[in-house]
Amino acid sequence: MSTLSSMLEAPGALLECDDDPEAVYEFLCAKGLSDGLPVIPPTPERVERMLAYCDRDFDKPVAQIPPRFGAATPIRIASNAVMAGCKPEYFPLVMLAIEALAEEPYNLYGTQATTHPCTPMLIFNGPIANEVGINAGQNAMGNYFRANAAIGRAVRLALVNIGAAIPGIGDMATAGTPAKFTFCVAENEAASPWDPLHVELGFPKEASTVTVIAAEGPHNINDHESITAEGILMMAAGTMTITGSNNAYYVGQPCVAFGPEHAQTIAGDGLSKADVKKWLFERATLPMSRFSKEGIERRFRRKLSDQYASAPLDAPVRMVATPEDLIVIVTGGAGKHSAYIPTFGNTRAVTRALKRCDGELVKSIAELKRG
Amino acid sequence: MAQLTKRGLIAAVVCSDTFMKLGSAQAKVFGVPDLPLLKIQHPLGGLNMDKVRERAAVALPQLLTLLKEQQS
Repeated sequence: MSTLSSMLEAPGALLECDDDPEAVYEFLCAKGLSDGLPVIPPTPERVERMLAYCDRDFDKPVAQIPPRFGAATPIRIASNAVMAGCKPEYFPLVMLAIEALAEEPYNLYGTQATTHPCTPMLIFNGPIANEVGINAGQNAMGNYFRANAAIGRAVRLALVNIGAAIPGIGDMATAGTPAKFTFCVAENEAASPWDPLHVELGFPKEASTVTVIAAEGPHNINDHESITAEGILMMAAGTMTITGSNNAYYVGQPCVAFGPEHAQTIAGDGLSKADVKKWLFERATLPMSRFSKEGIERRFRRKLSDQYASAPLDAPVRMVATPEDLIVIVTGGAGKHSAYIPTFGNTRAVTRALKRCDGELVKSIAELKRG
Repeated sequence: MAQLTKRGLIAAVVCSDTFMKLGSAQAKVFGVPDLPLLKIQHPLGGLNMDKVRERAAVALPQLLTLLKEQQS
């Protein structure tokens, strides 16, 4: 394995500039190595501290990030993690998310270059999310919490700086989404009446996982009135049924993130997570007539002709292809709000567990610390 | 198209002007920096057939020129 110091001797490995914070900010923005916000300068010393939590070869790529297909080596990812404001113990989770994004079903190439406003939503499950402080409570999808802000931002910076998802060149989003700065949450497993996402998917409860979704920003589901499962689910189905959603056309996996209070009400009426998915699959539908005349003719009659070629105008258009395609999590704190997160559509969610290089599940982030 | 080019076939990509930078960058990434891009006006999606024909009329001469150059 090459040493960090030998890697830094390679041509182009180091950039030099004035160490004044404003000068660093100007320098990196001018180089296009930025998300537009100030960063922590990725000095060799800081990158080395980040790599203290890396049990891989620093120069061996863990992924190739399109559209440039840049080599995502730990040292490069660590530079972006420093810039984003990560603590070193966040670093294995940033790497894990990038490895998940690079799995083929996610369609990273398509999601990076598309005109659609999608970005990776990172959902963390298991004990390490809590250990490193990823917020799953009040304002879980919002600001303030360092781990949520910095881990999501580090992934986004890597997508730009390593993958060249540069607006107008490699990222063709028409208007994009503010979620492209960061979109990182943990599931509030303690407040959920159901199995957490990773257990539902077959991982052991003690595993720590990330699930990546090519997501739009969250759409709020406000329901202060319903006191039954049916009432809340009816409001959720109403929020899901939007004509401008890619999920009306493709078989992507959108997500409903229930607030704990909504989840408790639903479970209190005896509904399992599978029941919720089935309910929403059946009722989150729009009649085809709600789409434009051109949309009906071009999208449904021709492109989706196997389903809609001769379907009546009141034929239901579903927002998920199967009940199992709907991802259901519980996150956030007190309050009568949940969220619906549509997706790019032509993508599948990917879940990966955090493992040591010997293949064993990581139980505590401290296991990954070198020395 | 990159694969077809590497197999020795004449290949090109119809690309709207807005996407030329992406197309050019991707051709380099996929190892065919000289892959011809047939430039048309953006957009191509959401057009009626007359507008699509206009784009085709712009792309076709570029394709014919390419074929003549490649075969000569």
